[in-house]
Amino acid sequence: MTSIPLSAYLVLALVLFCIGLYGALTKKNTVIVLISIELMLNAVNINLVAFSRLGPSPSITGQIFSLFTIAVAAAEAAVGLAVLMSLYNRKKTVNIDEMNSLKH
Amino acid sequence: MTLSGEMLAFTLLSLAAIMGGILLITLDRVVHMVIALVFTFISIAGIYVMLSAEFVAAVQVLIYSGAITIIMLFGIMLTRHNDTNQQTAGIFRKLLLLLGIAGFGIAVYAGIYQLDIPPEETSLHIDNTRKIGTALYSRHIIPFELTSVLLLAALVGAIILAKKDSEKGEEEEG
Amino acid sequence: MLDKGDEDAMMEIAWIIPLFPLLSFLLLLAAGRVLKEKSAYIGILLTLCSFLFSVLVLWGRIRGDTYKAEADWLNIGEAHIKAGFEVNQLNALMLVIVSLVSFLVHLYSKGYMQREDRLPVFYAYLGLFTFAMLGLVISPNLLQLYIFWELVGLGSFLLIGFYFYKEEAKAAAKKAFIMTRIGDVGLFIGMILLFWKTGSFDFQVIFQEVEGGGITQSMITLTAILIFIGAMGKSGQFPLHTWLPDAMEGPTPVSALIHAATMVAAGVYLVAAMYPLFLASTSAMLIVASIGGLTAIFAASIGLVQRDIKRILAYSTVSQLGYMMLALGTGGYTAGVFHLMTHAFFKALLFLAAGSVIHAVHTQDVEEMGGLWKKLRITGPVFLIGTLAISGVPLFSGFFSKDEILSSAWENGNYVLFGLAVIAAFFTAFYMFRLFFLVFSGRLKKQGVLVHESPRSMTFPMIILAVLAVISGYINTPWFGTFLGSWLTEGNPYLEPEHRSGPVWIMGAATLVSLAGIALAYLIYRRNSISREWLGGEGSFLHTVLYNKYYVDEFYQGTIVWLTGFVSIFLSYIDRFIVEGLVNGIAASIHKLGRLLSRFQTGQTQHYGAIAFLGLAVLVIIFALTGGMFG
Repeated sequence: MTSIPLSAYLVLALVLFCIGLYGALTKKNTVIVLISIELMLNAVNINLVAFSRLGPSPSITGQIFSLFTIAVAAAEAAVGLAVLMSLYNRKKTVNIDEMNSLKH
Repeated sequence: MTLSGEMLAFTLLSLAAIMGGILLITLDRVVHMVIALVFTFISIAGIYVMLSAEFVAAVQVLIYSGAITIIMLFGIMLTRHNDTNQQTAGIFRKLLLLLGIAGFGIAVYAGIYQLDIPPEETSLHIDNTRKIGTALYSRHIIPFELTSVLLLAALVGAIILAKKDSEKGEEEEG
Repeated sequence: MLDKGDEDAMMEIAWIIPLFPLLSFLLLLAAGRVLKEKSAYIGILLTLCSFLFSVLVLWGRIRGDTYKAEADWLNIGEAHIKAGFEVNQLNALMLVIVSLVSFLVHLYSKGYMQREDRLPVFYAYLGLFTFAMLGLVISPNLLQLYIFWELVGLGSFLLIGFYFYKEEAKAAAKKAFIMTRIGDVGLFIGMILLFWKTGSFDFQVIFQEVEGGGITQSMITLTAILIFIGAMGKSGQFPLHTWLPDAMEGPTPVSALIHAATMVAAGVYLVAAMYPLFLASTSAMLIVASIGGLTAIFAASIGLVQRDIKRILAYSTVSQLGYMMLALGTGGYTAGVFHLMTHAFFKALLFLAAGSVIHAVHTQDVEEMGGLWKKLRITGPVFLIGTLAISGVPLFSGFFSKDEILSSAWENGNYVLFGLAVIAAFFTAFYMFRLFFLVFSGRLKKQGVLVHESPRSMTFPMIILAVLAVISGYINTPWFGTFLGSWLTEGNPYLEPEHRSGPVWIMGAATLVSLAGIALAYLIYRRNSISREWLGGEGSFLHTVLYNKYYVDEFYQGTIVWLTGFVSIFLSYIDRFIVEGLVNGIAASIHKLGRLLSRFQTGQTQHYGAIAFLGLAVLVIIFALTGGMFG
């Protein structure tokens, strides 16, 4: 029996999510943007695991889901970095501001 | 709410996680940021343990603190950085975003505050890894196999993306 | 003796008649550049086929009964619109007239147009016109008739504007198109009204409704007048006549085919085809007769003083068409159709002969001609035959048909119209012989021209027409029987089998009047025993008014054209400043808005993300405040 309420975990996840969001939307370096997105995914994972333990009907499924999320996040990180590398080869920069070829 | 050992552990872990996040935002050097985030990832692993998810905690340490961090460090090393002072974006946009995020946070917090689900006794911590294994290979077998396909695709895609362009770059240079 | 099946078989193939000229049109359009001069042979051959089939169909109709074939074309709700063809007496007669004149004109053009580079185009247009005209005369319903009616107008437009590099030809083509269009609007409205009232375009159905009292009397009068307006436009009746003389800018064979024998007769044909409708309304009949009589005398008086040989003939055409309308309006169905037929022959003859004269002396001004009788050994006599026929000299075709018209006007009891007709007959005789004497007697006034007779391809059609101009009158005479009259009205419940012999003295009076006209022309222009200044010479008021065609064109120019111009300038300013300003304003403001919004489109992912997230944040806050999600 745990004495930590569900809402404590949820608030922690919320704070981390907001930090990740802020980083993803303001950082200039593309690597940091990717990392911030990982942080946001982590916050979501906390929610999943917290609900799997303290939710209305506790079960193992929440943990399984977080495992899938981690796998997809890993794939995303790999592909994202590959895209970043090829962009870097072309533009010689990792500044996200300068990647604006899709301008009107 | 009494100050139990569990409570203490939770407070420390969450503080460490949040500190890591804040450092990520405030630090100047890119490598430092990534290192700061390792603290967050490890703290989150601790949180998982508290939530009777030992296996997920192990995976968290292996994948996030290990693999992804290393990949990111490689990414940083392979690209050139005029490192410091990566601050960007206009003040106006930052303020607006802060405001939006704060509003969002408060609104969601209001929702969380109203949430009241009584905790139940579970047996998730007993044979946690076995249970995960059983569930993965029985009930969730199809998503599991699909994930392997996804990982393979990501692997091949990442190699092709990085390789082709580097060749092109060489040709251009040569 | 043929049995019944054969006659039907003859008429069954009537649909093929218009297809020959259409084939000619398409062939020449496709291969005209390759064929060059040979394209004339294609046109001639195919119209000859048309003519032969038309004769067969006429023969079949004389032996048998009216033949009608239809198929559903459009089914809209309750209304079934049909397409097909019909061979009745009038249609069969028109088929022969049109295809014969068309064939002869094709033949004639071979000589007349031989030095023209765009010969294939000319023949293609002739084919299109002939197709449209033949289609027009076998239409069993108003809608189909209207389609061909417009096609005929198009053919006329193309042929008048054939010398499109001449300003006058261009203007004349446009004028013809627009003036006839005014009439077409009337026809169109009349047609729609009839459809609205009877639910059918079919002639027979409309007539049955009219007879059965399905339409009110005032509606009958209204539709009859509207349809007559259409006929006025095509047949050059006053006040829509001004385009016809200008249409003489086209090549002369075209004038003979379209603006003398066939298309302008389409108006008369239309009135004849819709005759039961007109018969049902006395006021419509009176209007038709009055307009016809007025046009007859009006155009004839203008014809007295004109100098251009083709224009004289054009005004004569207008006048003769007025005659036909007068005949129809006074109840002389046979008289009108009869005159339509004889006129087609002798007026085509006159135009072709005039073309031959122009071909020889290269001028159209009659004052510059003269003494051609000895030089044009064929053209001269055939022109004389045509002149005698149109003047109504006994034994020639015009005499019989004109006599018929005068009788019908007399019988109708409208003595004013009868008087007008008699005076118009006098004028006709006078100006035609004025023309004849000026062209063929005396001495050639234009110097340095080598006058020579036209080639055989031109003289042959003239000779044929001359023969017809003499003999075509004998199918309906008070002396040898009224074959045409009884045949035309036979089996038609709306028309009484008629022959209005009228008082015998009418024939004598008509002869006297035309001889008087001839004599006066002879005295003035041949013997010079009466001065030309006798009734006012050049420069006198009367002469000026007549020479300027009663200033009708100037009147239109000063009123309708000026008013239209004024209104259109006014509207163009509204369009330019108000409407266009509005449109441009809207376009400009949207453009500016787009500019503004496009600044969000920075191409930077973070901006997009920020904007999307802010939107989400706003939504979430709203939900939280209103309790939408958690409440």
